[in-house]
Amino acid sequence: MKAFGRFFKDINRNKALLLMVLPATVWFLFFSYLPMLGTVISFKEYRVHGGFLSSIIHSRWVGFDNFKFLFSTNDAYVITRNTLLYNIVFIIIGLVLAVALAIVLSEIANKRLAKWYQTGMFLPYFLSWVIVGYFAYSFLSFDRGVMNKIVSAFGMDPQQWYSEPKYWPFIIVIVFLWKSLGYNSVVYLAAIMGIDKSLYEAAMIDGANKWQQIRNVTLPMLAPLMTILTLLAIGRIFYADFGLFYQVTRDSGTLYNVTNVIDTYVYRGLKTTGEIGMSTAAGLYQSFVGFVLVITSNWIVRRFNKDNALF
Amino acid sequence: MASLRKTKDFHRLTPAWNVIFNLIAGLFALACVFPFLLVMVISFTDEKTLALDGYSLFPKKWSTDAYSYLFKAGDQLLRSYGVTILVTVVGTVISLIFISLFAYAISRKGFKYRKFFSFLAFFTMLFNGGLVPTYIVTTKLLGLGNSLWALILPLAVNAFYIMIMRTFFSTMIPDAIIESGKIDGAGEFGIFFRLIVPLALPGLATIALFNVLGYWNDWFNALLYIENPDLVPLQSMLMRIENSMQFILANSNNASLGTSVLQSMPQDTSRMAMVVLATGPIVLAYPFFQRYFVQGLTVGAVKE
Amino acid sequence: MGIRKKASIGLTSAMAVMLLLSACGSNGGNNGNTAASNNTSSSNAGSNAKPVELNWYTIGTPQKDVDKVMEAVSEYTKEKIGATVKMTMIDWGDYNQKMQVLTASGADMDIMFTAAWAFDYVQNARKGAFAPIDDLLTQYGKGITDTLNPAFLNGSKVDGKNYGVPANKELPTSEVWRFNKNILDENKLSITDVRTLESLEPLLKTVKQNNPDVTPLQVDKTFTPYIPYDYLIEKFPLAVKLDDASYKIVNVFETPEMKQALETMHKYYLAGYIPTEAATLESSSDVQATGKWFADKATTQPFADNVWSTSYGYPIVSTPMSDALIYNQSVMGSMQAISANSKHKEKAMEFLNLLNTDPVLRNMVDSGIEGTHYKVTDGDYMENLPESKNYDMPTFSLGNIMITHLNPGDPADKWEQFKKYNDAGKPAALLGFNFDPTKVSNEIAAVQNAKESFWAPLMTGTVDPEKYLPQAIKKLNDAGLGKIMAEAQTQLDAWKASQGK
Repeated sequence: MKAFGRFFKDINRNKALLLMVLPATVWFLFFSYLPMLGTVISFKEYRVHGGFLSSIIHSRWVGFDNFKFLFSTNDAYVITRNTLLYNIVFIIIGLVLAVALAIVLSEIANKRLAKWYQTGMFLPYFLSWVIVGYFAYSFLSFDRGVMNKIVSAFGMDPQQWYSEPKYWPFIIVIVFLWKSLGYNSVVYLAAIMGIDKSLYEAAMIDGANKWQQIRNVTLPMLAPLMTILTLLAIGRIFYADFGLFYQVTRDSGTLYNVTNVIDTYVYRGLKTTGEIGMSTAAGLYQSFVGFVLVITSNWIVRRFNKDNALF
Repeated sequence: MASLRKTKDFHRLTPAWNVIFNLIAGLFALACVFPFLLVMVISFTDEKTLALDGYSLFPKKWSTDAYSYLFKAGDQLLRSYGVTILVTVVGTVISLIFISLFAYAISRKGFKYRKFFSFLAFFTMLFNGGLVPTYIVTTKLLGLGNSLWALILPLAVNAFYIMIMRTFFSTMIPDAIIESGKIDGAGEFGIFFRLIVPLALPGLATIALFNVLGYWNDWFNALLYIENPDLVPLQSMLMRIENSMQFILANSNNASLGTSVLQSMPQDTSRMAMVVLATGPIVLAYPFFQRYFVQGLTVGAVKE
Repeated sequence: MGIRKKASIGLTSAMAVMLLLSACGSNGGNNGNTAASNNTSSSNAGSNAKPVELNWYTIGTPQKDVDKVMEAVSEYTKEKIGATVKMTMIDWGDYNQKMQVLTASGADMDIMFTAAWAFDYVQNARKGAFAPIDDLLTQYGKGITDTLNPAFLNGSKVDGKNYGVPANKELPTSEVWRFNKNILDENKLSITDVRTLESLEPLLKTVKQNNPDVTPLQVDKTFTPYIPYDYLIEKFPLAVKLDDASYKIVNVFETPEMKQALETMHKYYLAGYIPTEAATLESSSDVQATGKWFADKATTQPFADNVWSTSYGYPIVSTPMSDALIYNQSVMGSMQAISANSKHKEKAMEFLNLLNTDPVLRNMVDSGIEGTHYKVTDGDYMENLPESKNYDMPTFSLGNIMITHLNPGDPADKWEQFKKYNDAGKPAALLGFNFDPTKVSNEIAAVQNAKESFWAPLMTGTVDPEKYLPQAIKKLNDAGLGKIMAEAQTQLDAWKASQGK
């Protein structure tokens, strides 16, 4: 009874803030948590039988069978390695360059020019991977590509870019950065703009030069954001951008060793059978690994700085 | 005014570094703009020239056929613009309110349930129910099928933006401001709207921008929920054409598809023209948001 | 006072949630309820009550005037069979995904398009998406069984049952070499002796010499050389030799025919007859537009040369490289199935029967409203009116094509020629057998990935089979091809026994 009373007291004390979280919470219930119940089909051999619920009930329970295809072959190692390595590189380089770019943009004296640069950097975000794929092709095509023209101009042999796996880890990272950097640096730019100017003034009075200001004021102020965004990226470390690995590589078989990731593997593997149980299982597996990793890294972050942790 | 000028002065880089920074940013921006420029040129290239010579910034023959092909559909295109703009505006407003309220609440150290609600949001970033269950909730339970709400609501809340916004609130807003608001006798909502929002403008502008882009670029919800051609947004129109093109090419050894249908699909140039039409307005609207980033300096000055 | 306030706030927020919930819930619920009650009332009340509305989902770019045309169609069908039609078109590239979601969620559909290449017929029949129609066919589909070549219905049985009405169209598949006639004439070449891949060589050589800017043999990543085998699954390396009475399933990469074909392809590749980037080339549409190609491989049908010539804008001739055989793929080229969830299965079958036998209905569905979208010119011929741009339908996907009007320029005996062509087709080895991959779906996923990593490079001749073929075979076996092969052989043997072969 007492606990009950305290509960109501707490609710009352927090009522305004609770009211603030209400709309989004309702949204989460409907658009996230309710559908989540559907993941049960990853343990089922899904067959249509009337509506969705009755189909689930009537479908055969297969336990973890739907997950097997993710582990059963030699490819399992390749796709896990590729997915992980690319994402780690994306996270690290992406973070460093996005922050660097944001600082560069914020420090440029001519604000009008800075605006122009920033607008330009945003454009790749609007192009779908299919279109990006066309462009990559116009660069890398054997007969008509710009790259081969450059290469020949330097007296080297033209390359069959789409069948040379050794170049692709670089190409993929470059294309990824090119497409996402402008977008990602905006968050940091906004954060820099929000930094209290008195902090810089104080640093000035202490005799800090520009670099020291960046190191002692800007970066520490960006640290919480950097931590959060990195933690969130770790949560998606088992997900790969399908378009990047499928469209941009033109699905070239010779490159699979360095371009096959979990998402493309699942896509190719389920084309013939179309089992939604198996595709749901793959998604669940990706989420689960991400979840474990985030919880772990969040725990580590908490030990250093409570405020920077996710929860 | 004098202090403002002084603020700017000490914030300056040395001229040499300024040039280097300009070069870095400028070159990268150029690399980003170039393909887009190419898209525009291709959309004005003669179809046959394109097939013969490939992509080129200086095509031998220009043409506006691609655009006349698209404008032939006429009102369909205009309607799609209307749908996209409406969805983007309404969606961004709703989304901004939902997200900032939630993020603000969980950024408050005094909020007893902040951990619970943070986790509630975060968890949805990792786990989702998949396509079919989401489809069923949206169409059967909420009855949103074939309505504009089906384009607005599924994107209204995003845990990723909430986490970003929460960080903005907790790092950029001193607790003292909230305390001073309380001393003045303002309620939580009063504090939020009158004191916090003006200070959080750069963050809010970022989230608003992300939302605008998200709504503008969304085509998947339209694929799932919209069957009425009058409600199809622009990007969805573009993606439908691209997906269909890919599908037909992949099945082009099917005689009926390979000849009759492929012939009636829009050509390369028309698809590029679609990209230009679908992206143009949003690129033009972008400077509006930029005010809050580049002029954030003055916001900072006011804060002092 | 304090307590009352607390309680009331708790209540109001709880009520707000409830209100929101109930508002949303009732909205959706009501829709569901009214739909359901409509359905029951109409099917209970019999034929003289309100006509049944059939929900028809089909593939193709959505057309502006669909609703308008369907209104006219409904007027007609209401009188004939007491049903109205609502058609929903889903664009080519979206069809698979959207239909999968709709079926899995148990959406209210009656008739839907399915084929071997779109919303996979066999796969979805096995998943329970479609209603079996054997009984419905005998009861309401007399017209269909009468008009269709029996091979259509026999060939599209899945585990002994029919789940879809195939469109009456070209039945056998035959592969041809196509030639760009301008270049053929320019070099004074003859195609009468061409049939095998090897027999092309002298022609390719001449073209390569005389027309350096022309691709002698246009090949893209979808290319597979013709071998006399019937594939178990399209583009999957298991097959049965066409004249093999023992029905033994083999890995195509281990057959002498495939080895030879790949060697020839590689030879051509090295000689520069094939585009350098064939293995990653998505399509040949660029060269087809410019006409800078000499020969390629295609699937034919009667009068295909004319169709190709008009659509490319320059003359095309062709010569067969294989016999005209009826494969599973060819009978499942275009079908209409009835949803397992449909509440009007009988009416749906009545409608499909009418669609496949009644020229008035069929032409209305195909070309729109006479006088608005098209006009009949002379006898069976028709001509599109300007409005037809708002109703431009893919004819082959909407049922029997042999009762549709002729287009200007078509020969008067077009459909007779089609019938003749169909009657001449012989069944291929596996016609009517459909492999059930459920038990080996893990292996299939692995083999698919293994196979795609070398399929296009080998098939297009880009890589040396001497070196890569053994590697490919090893990769397939490692991924579990053997297990799939054994399972398929068991199923095939059982099928063979049941067919008395």
